Amino acid sequence: MAVLARCPDSQFQLLEAPPIPELLIPPQVVESGQGEALRNLRASLEASIAAKLTSGSELVRTEARQRREEILPTTIAPLDALLGGGLARGKVTEIAGRGTRFSIVIATLAAATSIGEAAALIDAGDSFDPQLAESAGVDLQRLLWVRPRTMKETVTAAEMIGATGFQLVIIDMGSRRPPGRRVPDATWVRLARVAESHGATILVSAPYALTGTTSEAMILAHAPRPRWLGRGNAPRVLAGIETRLKLEKHRRLRPGQSTTVFFRCEEAVGCQLSAVGSIVIPTAGTRHPTARKAS
Amino acid sequence: MTRLACFYVPMFVLAARLRSEPDLLNEAVGIVEGSGNNAHIVAATRRARKKGIQPGLSLSQARAILPKLIARGRDSECERTAQEALLEVAETFSPRVEDSGEGLVFLDVTGMERHFADENPDVRSPELRLARAAIRACDVISLPARVGIAGSKLAARVAAELPKSPTVVAPGEEATFLAPLPLTRLSPELEAAAMLQRFGLSSIGELAKLPESEIASRLGQVGRELHWAARGIDPRPLMPRPLPPEFREGMELEWPLVALEPFLFIANAALDRLSKRMEIQGFACKRLEFTLTLDPDGYDARGIDLPAPTRDVKTMLTLMRLDLEKTPPGAPVAGFSFVAHPDRPRRAQLSLFGPSAVSPEKLATTIAKLISILGDGRVGMPMTVDGHLPERYAINVFSPPSPPDIRRTPERARGLLAVRTFRPPIPIEVTTREAEGDDVQIASIRSLANEISDSRPPTPGSRVEVGSKVDIAGTVRICSGPWRIEEGWWADRPDIREYWDVELERGGVYRVFRGGATEWFVDARYEM
Repeated sequence: MAVLARCPDSQFQLLEAPPIPELLIPPQVVESGQGEALRNLRASLEASIAAKLTSGSELVRTEARQRREEILPTTIAPLDALLGGGLARGKVTEIAGRGTRFSIVIATLAAATSIGEAAALIDAGDSFDPQLAESAGVDLQRLLWVRPRTMKETVTAAEMIGATGFQLVIIDMGSRRPPGRRVPDATWVRLARVAESHGATILVSAPYALTGTTSEAMILAHAPRPRWLGRGNAPRVLAGIETRLKLEKHRRLRPGQSTTVFFRCEEAVGCQLSAVGSIVIPTAGTRHPTARKAS
Repeated sequence: MTRLACFYVPMFVLAARLRSEPDLLNEAVGIVEGSGNNAHIVAATRRARKKGIQPGLSLSQARAILPKLIARGRDSECERTAQEALLEVAETFSPRVEDSGEGLVFLDVTGMERHFADENPDVRSPELRLARAAIRACDVISLPARVGIAGSKLAARVAAELPKSPTVVAPGEEATFLAPLPLTRLSPELEAAAMLQRFGLSSIGELAKLPESEIASRLGQVGRELHWAARGIDPRPLMPRPLPPEFREGMELEWPLVALEPFLFIANAALDRLSKRMEIQGFACKRLEFTLTLDPDGYDARGIDLPAPTRDVKTMLTLMRLDLEKTPPGAPVAGFSFVAHPDRPRRAQLSLFGPSAVSPEKLATTIAKLISILGDGRVGMPMTVDGHLPERYAINVFSPPSPPDIRRTPERARGLLAVRTFRPPIPIEVTTREAEGDDVQIASIRSLANEISDSRPPTPGSRVEVGSKVDIAGTVRICSGPWRIEEGWWADRPDIREYWDVELERGGVYRVFRGGATEWFVDARYEM
């Protein structure tokens, strides 16, 4: 026996569907850059003035584009040339190797803080020297110094600071491996997202590559060569250290280029190196303001 | 002419309890006073009253009527904090506020009415707009207050007690407003009103018509004050309270808590209320003190100094959690009291064309969290220190100046070589050789302390051994020095050091110093 099921009134009719009620108020139409009102306004103005006229949505898009394309120069000319102008804002850049990474870190901090940006140094190696940084041009008032003990604390601090609105966050792992377990790769992905969403420039300086595929660019600092002033039995002074920088990876530039950077000791600034390998003995050079060569 | 407002919270003991436990708002709840056979209902929610629960019933009678009645004892801590919250709301409307006891606050609103707007354009009376704004403000702190405005305290209180709230008594109309009301409205707690009723007086208006001296001769000073009140004259002026130096929230728990999570759940709500109260006054918390009442007896008092004033509940809760995890109270918690010491929050002016500034509120929160994770002295602004010892440093509270108005281009770097400082210096063993004159030249070094110097990447899942062997050791290729420094020459034992820069044959340039006759250390490494 066939029984017909009763169709309740609340059931949707498949063929003659009642209008579906609007649960949400439809958003207001936002006029785009090519809106009619804007076109009319532009048409009514002189060409020179109309060219300068922009709508709010155009302005927002331009701002976002500019922010994506902005760079923070490290002010080390050979390195900036290697990176296409400097560190990309909103991205993670990594410097790895046994070269003079910390000198690059200090120079970048000086560049950011001298133009009034807030910077943070997450110093996992606990090797930062405020006196040296100040003489290198770092505005210490704009620098947040964080001294974590473990790898986990390091990345946690970086994430929190990046999300706070600092324009530059530098993670320096020191010259040795920080204690603690290896952090999972997802941590670096999360850090890259923080940088992207908050427009923070994140620079990771580590003795070995950490960030994997999440970094925008990776520089290998290697083959450090110390240079000394003085020869033979003559008194010696450390003039500086020369390092080779190689662009290992870049999302927009061709990798493989390399350059050489020379960082001078503070007391050797002013001395001249005539050529690599032949060093001119300084006429004057003091190590500390009150230091004197023991006789 | 003085205009006074009265904030009145009906059934205050119940309202204070529901403010702390908002989940009970739609339940049949009775507030109980006394214990054992003496326990009786003092207030009940609307749902309980509909079922027949009335104030005055004993708890057993109430349970017989409504077995599912949720009974809660009177909580003095809840009532005190609710009263404070009510006073703080009143202080946002006027600086002159009088605390008149449980759920009753008077404030001088003379001239204040023009500062308040209303979303309803039909409300044209400025005083009515003020009263409506006050009710909305009380709703924010979860107190269902009624508001009355009049020229005297009594008239304002009577107006506030009317069920239709808000009520505004026009200036000079106080006596007319009070006249038809029964005498019990004058002073419900005094027996004088009952005596006047025995004299044949039934309304306030009838009392006001009698000569003041006749009433005073029969009832004394109380009668004189009642007669003034009946005529709309306050016997005592408004007595403003001084501003409190701190904000308090607290609660007595139904049963002691032994786990952290349930306590933090309740603490979160209390901190949220505290934060809202501070926000009303434009303050932020600089120091949070909390006292835990332990079961069966004893207290555990603690304090947390926040690095910058903040109202962020999550931050305060995180700090509280870390503090409790570090040193647990040692006994079940039967109650708590939070005291927030207020301070002005940091403000910053944003720039249109310069670099964007870090939000002070966010910065304070982040620094507080970082300090809680890393500990004191590990987060802050680095500072230089006068002196000659290279390892000197200081760390201060990070408070960056405002960014410049115009974006600048950075200058070219000086290209200085940075050193990595070892804190503390690593003791080493040194072999020396004679040099010209009295100079000592270093032939080889070997570290005496364990130090991790492995720079190989860790394999996935591997664990690094803290303090694993070693090594700053090797034959010296080039040695430069000594360079002498002297710190504290005026002291009995000045710090005299001789420094050398040494490059090892196996690589690495180190800064070595001799502290005494035989004590050698490495205090920095020129980065390689």
